[in-house]
Amino acid sequence: MVNDAVHIAVREMKMGFRNPWSYSFMGLFGLFMLCLLLINNGGYVEGYSSITGTMLNLILYLLPLMTLMLGAFSLTGDKEDGSWELLSSYPLRTLSFILGKFAGLAVVLFVLVSFGFGLSAVMGWITGRGLDAHTYILLYGYSISLALMFLAVSFLIGTVAVNRWQALTVAVAVWFFAIIAWSPLLIAVLGMMPYGWIKPSISVFTLFNPAELSRIFAVVKLGGGSVLGPQYYDWVRWIRQPMGSAGYIIAILVWVGASTGLTHWLWERGRAR
Amino acid sequence: MSDGLWHSSSSWCRCDMLTRRRNKTAILCFTMVAAVLIGQAIISVSTAEAELANTTSSTGELQALIDQAHPGERIRVPSGVYEGSLILSKKITLEAETEGSVSIVNANPNTRSVIHIAADDVKISGIQIINESPSKIPALLITGDRTVVENMNIQTASQGIVLEDANDGQFRSNIIQWSDSAADRAVKLFDKGNGIDLYNSHRNIIRDNTIQRVHDGIYMENSDDNRLTFNVIEHSRYGIHSMYSKGAVIQNNQGNFNYTGAMIMASREVELTGNVFRKQSENVNSQGILIFQVQDSLFKDNKVIGNRVGLYLEQSENNRMENNEIANNFIGIQLLGARDNLITGNTLSGNVTETLAQDSANNSLDRNYWDSFQGIDTDGDGISNIAYAINPFFQGLIKERPAFQLFFQSPSMVFLEGLYQADQNTWTSDEEPLMVPLTSDQTSGQKASSTASGLIGAALLILTLSILQWARRRE
Repeated sequence: MVNDAVHIAVREMKMGFRNPWSYSFMGLFGLFMLCLLLINNGGYVEGYSSITGTMLNLILYLLPLMTLMLGAFSLTGDKEDGSWELLSSYPLRTLSFILGKFAGLAVVLFVLVSFGFGLSAVMGWITGRGLDAHTYILLYGYSISLALMFLAVSFLIGTVAVNRWQALTVAVAVWFFAIIAWSPLLIAVLGMMPYGWIKPSISVFTLFNPAELSRIFAVVKLGGGSVLGPQYYDWVRWIRQPMGSAGYIIAILVWVGASTGLTHWLWERGRAR
Repeated sequence: MSDGLWHSSSSWCRCDMLTRRRNKTAILCFTMVAAVLIGQAIISVSTAEAELANTTSSTGELQALIDQAHPGERIRVPSGVYEGSLILSKKITLEAETEGSVSIVNANPNTRSVIHIAADDVKISGIQIINESPSKIPALLITGDRTVVENMNIQTASQGIVLEDANDGQFRSNIIQWSDSAADRAVKLFDKGNGIDLYNSHRNIIRDNTIQRVHDGIYMENSDDNRLTFNVIEHSRYGIHSMYSKGAVIQNNQGNFNYTGAMIMASREVELTGNVFRKQSENVNSQGILIFQVQDSLFKDNKVIGNRVGLYLEQSENNRMENNEIANNFIGIQLLGARDNLITGNTLSGNVTETLAQDSANNSLDRNYWDSFQGIDTDGDGISNIAYAINPFFQGLIKERPAFQLFFQSPSMVFLEGLYQADQNTWTSDEEPLMVPLTSDQTSGQKASSTASGLIGAALLILTLSILQWARRRE
C-alpha cells in the first residue's frame, strides 16, 4: 500500500513538473516575492512591520488561489482523462491513490514556494534588503502551512467538481469567501448577534478558515499579537509559547487529515458505484 | 551594567564570609578528627552565621553620628553593610567613603522609609540602599527642599525614591531597580512600586537616572515644572507618567520595553522633546507616547519606534506635534476625539497601519510624510497636490465592537475599508502631505546583516533546483 502511494506520488510529481501551470505559478510567485523586496526600501526587516504585514497579505492573496487550482485540477484531470478509471481497475487502494496524490502535489507546492523564498532571500542578501532570519523562517513556515491546508481544501473541490471548469469556478468561489469576503460576512452576520456572542463566534469560525488561522498565527509569532486587542489576550499569550506552535501543527494535521479523509470517503463511494 | 555594579558592591562580604567559613571548617577537621559528621556540619554553619553578623552593623551608630553632626557638616560613611533605617533631619551631606561600598539594608516593614530626608538642603551620594521590606515603604523618602541625590544604587522590593512636598531638588545618575531577590517572588507589575514618585513636588531636576523593572519609572502627580532629562527607563509599566501636572520638561529620555513609554494624562504645558521610545509592544494597551486630556503642550523631535501604537492622542486640545519620527509601529498615530491640535512635519514610515482616527477632523494635520501614500507633486514644491485622507471605518468598527479587532489589516478588512468611502469631508486628512520625509536619518531601519536568511535562501534554491532536476531526469 505504501509502495503504491509512493508510485502515485512520483507520478504526480512528474506530472506536476511537466505542467506549464506549475512553472507559471512558480514564476509568478518568484517575481512577486522579488517585488515585495523592492517595496522594502527601509532595508533590513524584523518582526511585525508594514513590510511583513504586506507580505503576509500578498501571500494570502496569491498562494491559496494557486494551491486550490493546482490541487483541484489535478483531481478532476484524472477523472476527465480516464486515468482514474484505468487505475481503479488495478488492485490499488483508494487511500494510496489519495495520499500519493497529496504527497506528490505537496512536493510540487513545496518546490514552488521554496523557489520564491529562496530567490527573494538571495536577491535581498545581494542588494542589502533582506529579512532577519527568524522573520524569514516564520514567513516561510506560514506559506508552507497555508499551501498544505489549502491543498487539503482543493482535494475536496476536485472531488466534488465534475470537470476542470467546475473546479475552477468552485476554487475561485472558495478563495473569495476565505480571503476577501471573510470579514465583511462575519461583521454582517455577527453584528446582528448579542455582543457577548461575537468573540466566541469569531474564535470558532477562525478555526474553519485556514487563511485566518495561519494569518493570526503568523501575526502573533511575529510579535504583533497585542494589536489584536485585549479581547484575545489569552489566545495571544498561548500562541506565543512553544505550545502555540504545537497547537498550530495539530490544527494543520487535523485540517489535512479531515479533508483527505472526507475525500477518501467520497472517492471510495464513487468507486463502489 | 547596573547588575554588575550591584554585584561588585555586595560580593566582598560574601567572599570574606566564605573564606573564613572554609578556614573554620578546616581547623575543625584537624582538631576534631573524631567528630561526628553531622555535628561538624552544625558547628560550621553556626560559626558562619556568627561571622556574617560581625561584618554587618546596625544603623544605630550611623544615626548617632548624624544626630551629633553640626548643620552643614559632611559625613563620610565607612564601608560596610548597615541594617536598619536612617532619618536625616538637618542640613548635612552624607556620602560613602568609597562609592559603592556602603549598603543600607532594611527588611523591617515597620519603618516609614529606609532613609528619610526630612530637612532642607541635604545631600546624599554614593550609597546603596537595599529595600527588602515587602510593604510599600520607600527606599528614600524626601520631604525637604533642595535635596541633592546622586550616584545612589537603589534595589527595592517596594518604592524607590518618593518625594512628598519636596521642591527644587536634584536627582542625578542614580540607579533604581526592582530588587533581584524580590524578583524571585514573582510579583505582578501592578503590585510593584514606582522608581521615582513625585507628589506635590515642584521644580525638581531628574537627570541621567537608570530605572528598571518597576511600576512607573518616574511618576508625577500634582507636581509642576519638573525637568526630566536623559533618563533611561526599561521593563516597567509606564516609563514616565504625568498626572494633574503642569509645565513638565521631558527631554532626551529613553524608554524601552515598557507597557507605555510616556503617559501624559490630565496635564498642561508639557514639553516632551527629543525622547526615544522603542518596543512598547507587548501589552494590548501599549503605546510609545499616550496623551490623554492634555492641553497646550509641545511634542517635538521624538522617535517612537516599534511600539504597538506610536503616538496616541485622545481628548486633547491645542497641542503641537512636530518633527517626530514614527516608525515600524503596528499603528503609527491613533487619534480619538482630538481637536485643534497642530500635527506637522512628522515622518511616518514602516508602520503596519499609519493612522487610525475618529472624531478628530478639526486638527491641523498638514505637511507630514506618510510612506504608504503615493502623492502627486505637479509643481515641484515637495508637497503633494492630492490629500491623504484617513479612513475611519476600522476605528469606528472596533470602538463599537472590539472583538472585530482580530481583523486588523487582514486582506478582507483592507478590501472592506476600500469600499467604505462615505462622508469623506468628515475624515481626518492631511491636505498637504510631504513627498519626502523631513527627518531623513535612517535610525528606524534596524540595519543588520541578512546573511543568515540569504544563506537559508541559497540552500532552498539549491534544494528546489535539485528536486526539479531529479524529477526531469526520471521522465
